[in-house]
Amino acid sequence: MLLEWSFAIFSGLTLGMAAFLVAAGLTLVFGILKILNFAHGTFFMLGAYVTYSILGTESASMAAFLLATLAAGVVVGGAGWATDLVIFRRLRDSDYHYTLIATFALLLLITGLVKIIWGLDFRLVRPPEVLETTWFIGGIFIPAYSVFVIAAGIVVFLILDFGLQRSWIGKTVQSVARDPWMAEVLGINNRVVMTAAVVVSFMLAGIAGGLLLPNQSLSPALGDVFLLLAFTAVIIGGLGNVRGAFIASILLGLIESVSTVLLPDLPGISIFVALIVFILVRPQGIFSGAQ
Amino acid sequence: MADRSVYFWPAAGVIALIATALAPLFANDSVTFILGLAMIEAVFALSWNLLFNYTGIASFGHAAFFTLGAYFVACAQRYGWDVTFPLQLLVAFALGGGAAFAIGAVALKRASGIHLAILTLAIAEVVRMVIGYIDYVGRDDGLGGIPRPVVNLGLATLDLRSSSAYYWCILVVCVALALGLWWLVRSRYGRALRSIAEDAERATFVGMDIYKLRLFSFTISGAVAAICGGLSAPWVQIVTPDLSHWLHSAQPMLNTLLGGSAMFWGPAVGAFAYSLINYSTRTLDGVSEIVVGGILLTIILIAPTGITGALESLRRKIFQKWRAASPWAQVRVKGEQI
Repeated sequence: MLLEWSFAIFSGLTLGMAAFLVAAGLTLVFGILKILNFAHGTFFMLGAYVTYSILGTESASMAAFLLATLAAGVVVGGAGWATDLVIFRRLRDSDYHYTLIATFALLLLITGLVKIIWGLDFRLVRPPEVLETTWFIGGIFIPAYSVFVIAAGIVVFLILDFGLQRSWIGKTVQSVARDPWMAEVLGINNRVVMTAAVVVSFMLAGIAGGLLLPNQSLSPALGDVFLLLAFTAVIIGGLGNVRGAFIASILLGLIESVSTVLLPDLPGISIFVALIVFILVRPQGIFSGAQ
Repeated sequence: MADRSVYFWPAAGVIALIATALAPLFANDSVTFILGLAMIEAVFALSWNLLFNYTGIASFGHAAFFTLGAYFVACAQRYGWDVTFPLQLLVAFALGGGAAFAIGAVALKRASGIHLAILTLAIAEVVRMVIGYIDYVGRDDGLGGIPRPVVNLGLATLDLRSSSAYYWCILVVCVALALGLWWLVRSRYGRALRSIAEDAERATFVGMDIYKLRLFSFTISGAVAAICGGLSAPWVQIVTPDLSHWLHSAQPMLNTLLGGSAMFWGPAVGAFAYSLINYSTRTLDGVSEIVVGGILLTIILIAPTGITGALESLRRKIFQKWRAASPWAQVRVKGEQI
């Protein structure tokens, strides 16, 4: 019983960090541009496919894996720059419904492109050699790859949080998010800051795609699964709040894995119930007010 | 009559209606099938636009109500419940309205904007998952082999088992629903809804109960969506949990923007246009997504008023000369309404 629970908690943490890797970019772009990007999960999927195209399905070395992931980040970041140029910039002053629907259209477009380029087949990619082992600690099996995902989530969080809260770049970005007009008056180039935020957000999606590629069944439906998970994390954490998204992701992972133990007949539903309850009871998220 | 251009839209509507009504006589089965679906999707889109354009609410989970109606009629037909088909549709209407009222009563009080969008999306996903757990409705495989109804009218029976008979049944119900919605948006309720869509703050200021009006609109919209679902079940003859998938919730959104949200009949025009596009790109995986996504994106970026908006400006251009020459021109310009 104890073993079952400790395993559930461990797998919950893994799922939570995976969700955070996707949610990070989503909440970043919302915090600064107030755009909820429906296509974020699709670009995450695109990152996974790009990494797959570089690596193939066999185990690669750790260095090759990380480099391929970085390449996916660059490719998807480039797509983000194009998206900002063609879509976000044009719709900046229009009703938010239109931006929502535009990102939804983008979701369809990219999914269609992925289907044409890579087909509909499911693919399974093995993790790098170093991460293929499993450790046996305290009675439970711990896959090295899961530890890697948790570590990656924490590293991405620390970099983002430090970058946003401590560096001058982060402070500039926050000032634009808080009051774009005043920032402009003070001589900050809002356009550049916003474009940079979009590019970084998409890069994060691409990198998350690469990092989470192993052990997933890679298919054009991959984006949907993670998109809803990331949406939930972003809403529960408070829209635009990176710290909130981090805590909410962990919480979600734990909710999901604990409910798998308690309610094995109803897979997947607990996250949506959590989402609905949170929107109704605390729509501003767990950390209200904080950016 | 000073301005003949006012006949443009009614004439176009009558021609379209006659063409649709005669379709089973000369079109082949697959085209008839798609036209039947297009009519249902058209009314579904009109019900979504009642929320979007006329009330200022974007629902991202509207398919949940559609699914509810579809599954009710599917079960009733498949398991031979002792309920006649017209009554089944009415119950679907009531179920959809009841569910929308219950959800709206809580959701519209607590959430708005993006939160409401995500909330409705999540509710539709929950509906999809819950249906997948229930054995009675066939879990993830859905219910297949749904028979089309035979309606007993007392003196005569109405046999809707043939494809063309059920097609005309869809036509009659859809036209009735569309006219009902059309009447609604032109009634004083419709004008009140318009005012809160335009500026909720001012509407409150002149004494309107925004929450009540939004809830009213949400309920009607959900009820109409459910009756659309109920109509679709015997037509397609299979229902699956994917009816509640967010791709289906996006369908009325897409049709509305394609046709133009500002005019009442825009979503219906969009539904037929979409069916045409979808029918011509159905063969290759991925192409339909690219075409649909590409069109939607192009419309939002370049022509946010949609097909009817483009036609409307064309109509104005064509009739402009005529109008300018008329002695009534000044009067009409002053009192003009879109």
